[in-house]
Amino acid sequence: MNAEWKRRNFLFRSMVGVGGMALMDALNAATPVNPLAPRKPHHAAKAKSVIFLTMLGGVSQMDTFDPKPALEKFDNTTLDWTNEKRTDQPELYTKPRLILKSPWKFAKHGQCGMDVSELFPHLATCVDDLAFVKTITGENGNHPAATFLMNTGLVLPGRPSVGSWVTFGLGTLNQNLPGFVVLPDFRALPFSGSQQWGPGFLPASYQGTMMQWKGEPIQDLKPHGNLPEKDMQDQMALLREYNHSYLDGNFTNPDLQGRIDAYELAYRMQTEVPSVLNLAKENEATRKMYGLDEETTRSFGTRCLMARQLVEKGVRFVQLYTPSQSWDSHTDILKGHAKNAKEVDLPIAGLIQDLKQRGLLDSTLIVWMGEFGRTPDHPADLRDKAGRDHNTKAMTMFFAGGGVKPGVTVGATDDLAWKAVDQVYRMRDVHSTILHLMGLNDMRLSHYHAGRQMRLTDTGGDVIRGVVA
Amino acid sequence: MAHLITWKVVWIACLATAVAAADDAALYREKIEPVMKAHCAGCHTGPQAQGGLSVASLADLMKGGKRGPALMPGKSSHSLLMQFVRGERNPRMPIGGKPLPETMVTALATSIDSMAPVLQSQAGGKDHASWVFQPPVDPKVPEPRNAAWVRNPIDAFILAKLEAKGFAPAPAASKRALLRRVYFDLVGLPPTEAETQAFLADASADAYEKLVDKLLNDPRYGERWGRHWLDLVRFAESDGFAIDGERPTAWRYRDYVIRAFTHDKPYDEFVLEQLAGDEMQRRPGGRENEGLIALGFLRMGPWERDTNFDAQLRLDWLNEMAGTTSQAFLGLTVGCARCHDHKYDPIPQKDFYRLQAFFAATRIEERPVAHLEVEGRLSMRNRLRQLEDDLEAANAAVKSLDKTLKAKLTAAGKKEDELTKFLNDKGSAVFTAEERAKHKEAAERATKIGLEMARFQPIAYSVNEVAPPAVMDVEPTYVLGGGERLVRGEKVEPGFLKAITGNSEPAKIEFPGRYRSGRRKALAEWIVSPANPLTARVMANRIWQHHFGEGIVRTPSDFGLNGDRPSHPELLDWLAQRFIEKKWSLKAMHRLMLTSNAYRQSTNHPESQKISEADPENRLLSRMNWIRLESEALRDSMLMISGGLNRQAGGPGMFFGVKDEIAQGFQMFKWYASDEEAQRRRSVYAFQRRSLPMPLMEVFDVANMSESCARRSVTTVSPQALTLLNGEFTAVESRRLAGRVIELAGAEPARQVAKAFSLVLQREPTASELDKALALWKGRQPAEALTRLATVLFNLNEFLYLE
Repeated sequence: MNAEWKRRNFLFRSMVGVGGMALMDALNAATPVNPLAPRKPHHAAKAKSVIFLTMLGGVSQMDTFDPKPALEKFDNTTLDWTNEKRTDQPELYTKPRLILKSPWKFAKHGQCGMDVSELFPHLATCVDDLAFVKTITGENGNHPAATFLMNTGLVLPGRPSVGSWVTFGLGTLNQNLPGFVVLPDFRALPFSGSQQWGPGFLPASYQGTMMQWKGEPIQDLKPHGNLPEKDMQDQMALLREYNHSYLDGNFTNPDLQGRIDAYELAYRMQTEVPSVLNLAKENEATRKMYGLDEETTRSFGTRCLMARQLVEKGVRFVQLYTPSQSWDSHTDILKGHAKNAKEVDLPIAGLIQDLKQRGLLDSTLIVWMGEFGRTPDHPADLRDKAGRDHNTKAMTMFFAGGGVKPGVTVGATDDLAWKAVDQVYRMRDVHSTILHLMGLNDMRLSHYHAGRQMRLTDTGGDVIRGVVA
Repeated sequence: MAHLITWKVVWIACLATAVAAADDAALYREKIEPVMKAHCAGCHTGPQAQGGLSVASLADLMKGGKRGPALMPGKSSHSLLMQFVRGERNPRMPIGGKPLPETMVTALATSIDSMAPVLQSQAGGKDHASWVFQPPVDPKVPEPRNAAWVRNPIDAFILAKLEAKGFAPAPAASKRALLRRVYFDLVGLPPTEAETQAFLADASADAYEKLVDKLLNDPRYGERWGRHWLDLVRFAESDGFAIDGERPTAWRYRDYVIRAFTHDKPYDEFVLEQLAGDEMQRRPGGRENEGLIALGFLRMGPWERDTNFDAQLRLDWLNEMAGTTSQAFLGLTVGCARCHDHKYDPIPQKDFYRLQAFFAATRIEERPVAHLEVEGRLSMRNRLRQLEDDLEAANAAVKSLDKTLKAKLTAAGKKEDELTKFLNDKGSAVFTAEERAKHKEAAERATKIGLEMARFQPIAYSVNEVAPPAVMDVEPTYVLGGGERLVRGEKVEPGFLKAITGNSEPAKIEFPGRYRSGRRKALAEWIVSPANPLTARVMANRIWQHHFGEGIVRTPSDFGLNGDRPSHPELLDWLAQRFIEKKWSLKAMHRLMLTSNAYRQSTNHPESQKISEADPENRLLSRMNWIRLESEALRDSMLMISGGLNRQAGGPGMFFGVKDEIAQGFQMFKWYASDEEAQRRRSVYAFQRRSLPMPLMEVFDVANMSESCARRSVTTVSPQALTLLNGEFTAVESRRLAGRVIELAGAEPARQVAKAFSLVLQREPTASELDKALALWKGRQPAEALTRLATVLFNLNEFLYLE
């Protein structure tokens, strides 16, 4: 029995008290040794994998997918905010502010007639595959706290991220690859780095594995200093022999075998990972689809293509990040958002089309969101280089793929897209929806820690029914 | 049969809550009973009930059968009944019949979920509460039959339980196994060859006891055991969150902890200093200063420096402090009570805020505290002066460079104040690449010196009081509805936990004046009072946990009703009593535990198969637990064995090397790696940046720096294999070890192999091992072959696990 499982087991045991002992023994017998072995979902799953496209910094909803004519009307005027005293950002409203109309034109796209601005010309061609939610609300207007909330359900560091929870609940399908892969942008890593994809109190097996799109994809995948193949093999062979003979007589320690297995997997990963993540085997049309031929789109595009290659091979959860704070256009949104949209628009559209043509979109859930939305106004003194500030009261996001009802829009914001007013959802509802589509019940997916059963959604979220097919 | 009895207790408890029980009974009659009768009762009733499970009544379902309770009110997913009818377990029930229709299954689940949950911990919960919240009484030491095995009373407690089950303890570990075990346990490093030989050759009766004493007096002991404490207090040297700014003098708290362990500071004093070091009596020897450093405990949590919401930040801090204080010293998780009454423990929400109120007068402050003698006052001062001079020179260099470059700029017809712009503009031809690089280097040098200087400032990362001089007028504390800052309820005074004191009276706090509220001191004194039922037990259990791999209570920071039940409550009480009796000396406790026969057992037991059926978790300690080296012990040992370990103790931490792409990915801080030699210091001296744990440490389950960590997980995952087999650290230290072996063993390959085994594993290779190793010498230079062998040895299970 693996140490990690033993630990959970004993925690559970302590949870159920003496009375649960017999139950735990029964559980034990049925439990796989490998913490990443595939496990049955709670209910029939709609999707097998998740690709989470994280737009760090906060995308402006009224400049992308939530057009508001009232912004034109009130452009360059001040609104009375005195009725909105309970804000999490009191400092924001101490200075005079001006409404800003969107600098981009909107048009209706697809059969569903979804509004998309000029910022996303390629994504606009995919709207019939997307399900938008315009009413996601947050709890904290600071980047790190909001990013933690988006990833872990709590504004503080130290909790398991959604990718860890999903892998914890379902295991993973390919034992030669990590179950949860993170593809950050090395120009600026997310705040708090690996804590954003950490396992928190879950076993370390569920930690996200960071991969790079340039150079070696996984840290230490290849031996340091270009060790010749022969040396690697000889080392591995000797290690295997020594470790096997050490098993004799030491059968009270099942981890000895566990560690031998981990080395064998690592050894297989050395060949499996490079063969899966092989951009050269993709044809020219595919490469173009993801924007690999353009400098602007190469980083995000390559990572989108890697994401497809990984879910194709059974990786459970892949999370992509734009650079930290990249969408954070407090000033000069015209420039900032244009640059950021350009980097991701074509690759995301390429990803969706590619998954579709390979028949993978039905089993892959795509989630696109940032940590919060943005305000309809900005400080008056910055009119000449206007931007938008953080807004936890409304954000637009979309789902696509496995189990998602395509071409729908859920929820509505007020006239300025400042505040969600109809069908308001919280971050935990997004989590609940992701888990639901993956076949997991957010209330049943729990882990005993620090005196109680912990959950991604704490006391439970509401599945956003409108986006579920 | 234990669970049958305890579940009766649950059932009675359930009846006591008459209303809920009545509703549940109705629910059962209407929704569950008909299904049971129609689909299950055929096999599951009467004396021949299959699997011992009867479905005749709700009580029967809750009692369950051989597999345990079939129905857990309020928890359908945990109810075996649901797991079987859903087919999540084999065989799907009803066996041989059609699965129940989905609607029926859902209705069953809904009914079970609607029932009032019965706390599982109430099964025997009353007994546990009457133990855990009552001061320990000195138990009678048992008198087991095999008195010859009993070296000290610990053995008597362990053996009595084993004998009651008909088991015998494991044989003694081999001398070599015991040697490795106790070295790693106490100093976190292996013995040297000379130490190994000396111990193996020492045939005197007290050879082992002498070794224990020697290691307890080894300064490396503090580095090893201090780290355990640092885990618990979520020690880090940066704020976390967005900026993750450096806490340049937080190392002084780390060194304080190491010193406390090294010098065996009585635990009560250790607790007092960390909670109220500013209020301790001034004694000779700069003790107050050390107290101010010790207060770093209160500052170690994450801190969002750029928040735009100070009131919330302060509240978060107060909450974090109350929570960590309770977890670390009392082994209770009070955090739940921030929003509502604790669901499991008798801790009302009010008590969380009464506890929090002890900190209401506290504010954070970086306080001037001259470096102590033990911190190397003189060298600190000299170093600081040197750095000041260096900074001056570095700034001057930047300035003169600026001047030259500005002249060039104006010559090119640009404005002087556009210097930065043109330096950053790689496309511009105004400056050459060389000029740009030179400027960058000079500027970085100045930045680096500036960062370094801050670490040598005579400042303690500490707290102070906001209490006015004469009157007790501290910001009031309120019970907050749902933990929300703006939802104020009842106003509360500082008070101790009702679960322990039995009342909700405010604490009697002597108001000392002089800008002090006396609150934290009152709390600390209550915690270390011998009458406190938790403090001594919790710490004795932590010490036990690190020696034996598992605690007597296996949830070391959760002694509450939902935590683990002690395997040997009398033993823990006996240890707690000794701890107080021996004036809270940790070393006395170490000596007691390490010299027991229980500790000296082998990890293998001739009857382990039979015993493990009855005791799969080895709770009875019929053998020693296997222990894997923690990340620090692993890294430090590799350094020591290779001969690369830098023994420099104390002072500002070292900055390990990180890959460029990672270092450059952090926008808010600069990461300058220390020089190569400094990087080879012990891991406890590695700078602890919350967003950048050392990769080797991280993969080997190092403590999460965000919250108190009482027990590290021990995972076995492939990235560990990749890191330890392929990583740069292993490559460098393997090569270093190869060099050392050649130096010590000469040119003969067989002797080289023997030497490598001896250094890494403290033993000779077997003939077969030697043969296999020598195969590496074919077609390789000796140094190359040895490097490969060193890598293999560093990756061995035998190296990572302590027998």
